[in-house]
Amino acid sequence: MATRAAEVSFGVPALTPERAVSWPKRTRAQLANGLQVVLAETHAIPKFHGELFFRAGNALVVDRAPTLAEMTATVVRTGTAKRASRQIEEDLRRLGADLGATAGQDTSAISFAGLSECSEPILQLVNELAREASFPEAEFERERRQKLEEVKLERTSPDFLAGERLRKVLFGAHPYAAISPSEAQVAAYRREDLQGVYREIYTPENALLMLVGDFEPQVMLKTIEKVFADWEGKKPAAKEAPVPPKPQGRRVYLVHNPGSVQTQILAGCHAITRKHPDWLRLGLTNSLYGGAFNSRLVMNIREDKGYTYSPRSSVHTLRLHGYFSVSAAVRNDVVAASLTEIFYEIDKLRAVPVPETELADAQNYLTGVFSMGLATQEGLLSQFSTVELNELPSDYLETYREKVRSFTPTDLLAAARKYFDSANMQIVVVGDRAQIEEQAKLFGEIEIFDNQGNHIQEGFCPG
Amino acid sequence: MTRLQIPIQDSTLQNGLRVVIAPDATAPVVTVGVYYKIGFRLEPQGRSGFAHLFEHMMFQGSENAPKMQHIKLINSSGGVLNGSTMYDVTNYYEAVPSNALERVLWLEADRMRALKVDDENLRNQRDVVKEEVRVNVLNQPYGGFPWLDMPPVAFRNWANAHNFYGDFADLDAASLADVQKFFRTYYVPNNAVLLMLGDVKPEEGFALAEKYFAPIPAGATPPFADPAEPPQREERRGQVEEKFGTLPAMAIGYVMPPRRTTDWCAMALLDQALHGGRAGRIHRELVLEKQIAVEADGGIDDIFGYNGPSQMTTKILHKPEYSAEATLAAFDEVLREVREKGISEDELQQLKVKWRSDYYSTLEGGRGGYMPRYGLMHLLACFTLFDKEPQLVNTILDGFLAVKREEIQNVAQKYLLPENRAIVLRTPVTSDAKEAA
Repeated sequence: MATRAAEVSFGVPALTPERAVSWPKRTRAQLANGLQVVLAETHAIPKFHGELFFRAGNALVVDRAPTLAEMTATVVRTGTAKRASRQIEEDLRRLGADLGATAGQDTSAISFAGLSECSEPILQLVNELAREASFPEAEFERERRQKLEEVKLERTSPDFLAGERLRKVLFGAHPYAAISPSEAQVAAYRREDLQGVYREIYTPENALLMLVGDFEPQVMLKTIEKVFADWEGKKPAAKEAPVPPKPQGRRVYLVHNPGSVQTQILAGCHAITRKHPDWLRLGLTNSLYGGAFNSRLVMNIREDKGYTYSPRSSVHTLRLHGYFSVSAAVRNDVVAASLTEIFYEIDKLRAVPVPETELADAQNYLTGVFSMGLATQEGLLSQFSTVELNELPSDYLETYREKVRSFTPTDLLAAARKYFDSANMQIVVVGDRAQIEEQAKLFGEIEIFDNQGNHIQEGFCPG
Repeated sequence: MTRLQIPIQDSTLQNGLRVVIAPDATAPVVTVGVYYKIGFRLEPQGRSGFAHLFEHMMFQGSENAPKMQHIKLINSSGGVLNGSTMYDVTNYYEAVPSNALERVLWLEADRMRALKVDDENLRNQRDVVKEEVRVNVLNQPYGGFPWLDMPPVAFRNWANAHNFYGDFADLDAASLADVQKFFRTYYVPNNAVLLMLGDVKPEEGFALAEKYFAPIPAGATPPFADPAEPPQREERRGQVEEKFGTLPAMAIGYVMPPRRTTDWCAMALLDQALHGGRAGRIHRELVLEKQIAVEADGGIDDIFGYNGPSQMTTKILHKPEYSAEATLAAFDEVLREVREKGISEDELQQLKVKWRSDYYSTLEGGRGGYMPRYGLMHLLACFTLFDKEPQLVNTILDGFLAVKREEIQNVAQKYLLPENRAIVLRTPVTSDAKEAA
């Protein structure tokens, strides 16, 4: 609850009439081999941004090893039948290009950007990486050793430790529970496994090529046909994943990080995917709760109480399951006070309809920042790919603002009651056990882990 | 070769406030920035971290828009906002749908004219800043490395060498009177530039600037501490304990040539040759070929944004089985090769294409996925405040594209020398490899 009375402004100029928001026209095509293509032109800078998406990632192959698709992507860029690693990197520089190969739970992707004048050779290189990656033995070995150091290092980051624990709690045996491998799992990665993943996932029937930037779409489409037309390959077979657990009652998971001078709080519960009809109203409710600077949570625990620098809430959108989370890195002596306020603001949204003026402010915020995506090539690419990869309606972007503006306080009350599952929130705290255990216990039955992910026995307190 | 030309208009109000407008109606979004020529380099002694704490206070209320109203008015207009404190400038910026332009200018003018804060605001933001320091530095592996670790080792002038985030004792000592004095001294229109980029018609932008900012009286020209460094004649070394991380880390910083000289342009391309991602020589040798390091990157930070001593800094995280000296020897070998052999014409051509391409992205670029044209705003502001030439945005590229092979080798021989560098080791308390510096 805020302790300071709200004050008002004087003489604020009114907003002038809005200029229409119009999204660039998309040109769609599908090549005979199944490759889907989406192109959009925008000419502010003489460059283009692109991404070749494959509709499968770590989740599809988790039975073989965690984040195997990510490791595959890492090694993809290190050699092809025609070019060695060093050649690839120098050619990119020669073309004024940047390139990244990554994988998440649901997609693998090669993303790239470069000068428009070099678009054809850049696409040729992308084509080579997608079809002729050679997984050189020495490159694979190096990347694997590199990954070993990285997995040791990430266990020292409070953010990582909190995220890892919450995902395990919310997803159990479901593939989404695994966000990182153990050292032993990395040591067991084999080059053949990566090649297997590559053959399965990197196929035209499984792919979407999206380009945004300074080009003429019909000319670009001809180039794409020339470069990608003779590629072949089928979609991988879909797999049934186990149903995630439904944790009942609030529980607390303390990850003991010796020497922490601050506590990372992360609490969450299951929600919905992007395709769900309630998605927009949940997004608006989240924005008002903790998704914006001007939100209730930020105003309360930062601007009023000074407990934290960067509190926020989010709705995470994995393809099969979504979840809601709220996070804040707080002073050690205000862990209980911060959790109290976090739940106070959740419970208030579940109990009392949002005032009309506050709702209008949140609607303006969400519809305004939505249009920010129009101003950069990367922003456009991100918005267009969200629509495509989540199979949203083709008028999603054009109707978004109107839909967000149509919601009433009753809609938000219903969304908060349904998806801000206060009674069953799972609470992770990462910090020094001696300083925070008593405070954390107040919020539910507690389990304690060390920063390697192991359960700590009751009564045993290391460090 | 396609060359990007940005239309730019600028003007100066009676009170000395410079106004720069770069119209582009592609999207109905306008970015507004106000830059003040004061950064943490020039904050008062005994008040380390004050420039940044003060930046937070600028969001705490002004005469007609009290506490919480700044943030609320921008967000509820559909926009985002932030501010940041750098070495020589502090910025405040908003990206909003273009129908909110007038409202944003009103808000920026209100806080330039009459900041209104109290002790409660100051206590609140002091607490917030301490949590910011904990989340970014004290509770993070490699927090503040090397940007907070390097200056006290590399520099001798307090202006360049102190803790920019602030010692907690100094933050605690900051008073409301300090806030008011800092505001009156540095936050005057004649020490600032106002920028409008995107969906704005120049004549309307200038008229609105006149309407809201012209009534703000000019102040005395602010005094600035001299940031000049005494000449360096020896390699400098320091060591910092790493509390959380598992790998030994090392930063090596070389003092940069003066701004906007031929050497400076050559150094920028040399930086690209050394630090340009996976093609860069340092990453290639230390990570990909010799496999001593897990990370080896860095380079010149914000080349256009400094108006005093700065460095090109390499940051290395290396495997514990290699000593710091062995890692440094491998690094030195990379630099020796450039000093002795220079770079090929083919490599130089690659570097220039990439530099031009990166420059365009900087101009377009958002910041952290939002804030369109942040880069263009930043460059226009720095070129206006430091050089009085916003049009440099369209011409500065020429100097980099004209660099010759000999000039690259020449700056390598002149600047990449032990007596021109500082080295910081950040050594894990838990690591097997405990090296003495």
